[in-house]
Amino acid sequence: MNENTNVQGTSAVPRVVVVGLASCFGCQLQITNIEAHLMEVLGQIDLQYWQLASSDPMPEEFDVAVIEGAVTTEESEHLVEELRQKADTIIAIGACATTAGIPGMAAEGFIQRPGSVYDLVPEACGEMISPRAVGSVIDVDYEVRCCPIDAYDFVDVLQRALYGSNKIDSTATMCGSCKRNETGCFYTKGVMCLGLVTRAGCDARCVNLGRPCNGCRGLSPDANLPAAREACRAAGIPVEDFDKALEMFNQTDPALRQA
Amino acid sequence: MTKTAIQVDHIARIEGHGNVHVVIDGGEVKTVEMNVVEPARLFESMVRGRRFEEVPYIASRICGICSSSHVVTDLLAIERIFGIEVTDRTRALRDLLVYGSYLQNHATHLFVFAAPDFLGHKSVFPLADEAPELFEQALALKALGNELCTKVGGRSVHPITAVVGGFTHEITPEEYLELAEKLESMQEFAVSAVDLFHSFECPDIQTEGDMLAMGAPNRYAVSDSRMARFIDAALSFDCDEVDRAIEEYSVNHSAALCARVRSTGKPYFTGALARINQSWQFLGRQAKLAAAKVGLRPPERNPFNNNVSQAVEIVDALERCAELCRRLANDEFEGSSEPVPFQVKAGFGVGFTEAPRGALFHELELDDEGRVVRASIITPTAQNVANLEADMRILAEKLVADGAAADEVQLEIEKLVRAYDPCLSCSVH
Repeated sequence: MNENTNVQGTSAVPRVVVVGLASCFGCQLQITNIEAHLMEVLGQIDLQYWQLASSDPMPEEFDVAVIEGAVTTEESEHLVEELRQKADTIIAIGACATTAGIPGMAAEGFIQRPGSVYDLVPEACGEMISPRAVGSVIDVDYEVRCCPIDAYDFVDVLQRALYGSNKIDSTATMCGSCKRNETGCFYTKGVMCLGLVTRAGCDARCVNLGRPCNGCRGLSPDANLPAAREACRAAGIPVEDFDKALEMFNQTDPALRQA
Repeated sequence: MTKTAIQVDHIARIEGHGNVHVVIDGGEVKTVEMNVVEPARLFESMVRGRRFEEVPYIASRICGICSSSHVVTDLLAIERIFGIEVTDRTRALRDLLVYGSYLQNHATHLFVFAAPDFLGHKSVFPLADEAPELFEQALALKALGNELCTKVGGRSVHPITAVVGGFTHEITPEEYLELAEKLESMQEFAVSAVDLFHSFECPDIQTEGDMLAMGAPNRYAVSDSRMARFIDAALSFDCDEVDRAIEEYSVNHSAALCARVRSTGKPYFTGALARINQSWQFLGRQAKLAAAKVGLRPPERNPFNNNVSQAVEIVDALERCAELCRRLANDEFEGSSEPVPFQVKAGFGVGFTEAPRGALFHELELDDEGRVVRASIITPTAQNVANLEADMRILAEKLVADGAAADEVQLEIEKLVRAYDPCLSCSVH
């Protein structure tokens, strides 16, 4: 492949759009935070639409759509469906897009919530729906996890989307990272840490800085929830607290209901 | 006479989703609306019932750029309720974190969002070829803000280390000194940016609204005073009284709640321009010089000068942060930053900081297990929307009276919106 060959095998430079749904915009900011490499990354793509950085309008045709944020309105549901139709590759970035993340916390008992914040819900809010991950509305080709994303993870995934890769995302939980880092385990101190059931891949960033994992990479498919609850009991941590904490990034994950 | 409708859907280069709607009929400005259409994430309902430790972590996600401010503000509210006194070292670190977000925010806003307007571009990217030195220095300044937040908070967006009572991690004295040097080396560019933003031509308008900023007897306070002040109304209040001083109300065309001064009914501005008006005399030496040189001093009421005010604050932040870093390296602050012990108890408390974009209040009520009974978050942009609409009207009327064409009115209004540096994701939350 020459350097201008995209994943579709055409010789054109891949046309990319970046779209933000319900989010804090932090993941898009993380992309701007690769300052030193920003122009190198942008040099490989034709960035056709990035509302955060440019007033050019969204084009009719493009190859790759990068989506940040959770789907929380009918309008954004239609938008992601349109993006799926137009783009060959969809990259969901950040916890909001990949797990519904923090906005997903509002999914529980959603129907009463708008009325508890507004006396009268303004029309400008649009047709609000219970928050969901992008992947539960359309098929997603690549994910960049974490809240917020690591900018270099994004570059890595973008490279894979553009040039192809046989890398398989690990589904292991975080504990192996702490063992390798020799940071010890919060459970030995009676402190809850969600790394026990959360997907690895961030090198246990928070634990390395003395703070337990809050689970922003989402529940690992390999997680053994009954065993984790048992570990909580053994460490004197109320299981209800563990389950409540897990809601933060996994409220809409069906695995939480089953286990 | 003709009727002109200006509609800008999804205004670009601001944080969040907003539309501008202006109707001019027969030379008269009829309608001026800022529609905030950002999806509501309903944070206040989300944190209800959750334990206090999780609240700053969740509230941080209101906004990527202002995440440090949301975390610190929530910590202040919780510590107010529990009666926690943190050490001077912790206070210094929090100042650094908040100032780090000033550097990030102001550099991003000024160079990536605002400057292209004045240089005739749709984005900052053409500057890479056209003015490579400016482009590189601007990115370097932004990167330095990120580095400061990363060193202190563990990450440039959504800090990790700031917790109730202190910090879970600190860098080494050598790293503080290295940061101090980098901050000092950026000063020359920052001073030139004040001149640059002053040189951009802006319409001469005066806001008629009030201004709100943190006040303190002897300093340019951003995170360590509980006193807020409406400058025109000459009304000072403790942040616990925020509901009595500020009236929030909803309008149909905006998903953000609007705000006005309760006693006078006036809309108001909060942000760098209000802080400059409130605390100009306490700017650092270099910042004060840079401001004086371009004639920025109170009373300054042109909202476009929020841009220059932010540029002055960058100079100020660099100076202050370098000093803080040196003092942290030399262990000049009382106590360590390790979280102090505390007892969970029920109560009500308000946290207040000057976020990069203005006054930020978090009201919290906790039960005796430390779970949230009620939370209310008043963000800078939510407070600014009503005043922005009033200023948009003043601007449109002036331009129409001067015989400006519709596309010019539109461009100037977009510039004004960006000068306010709105964060619509914050405003709706």
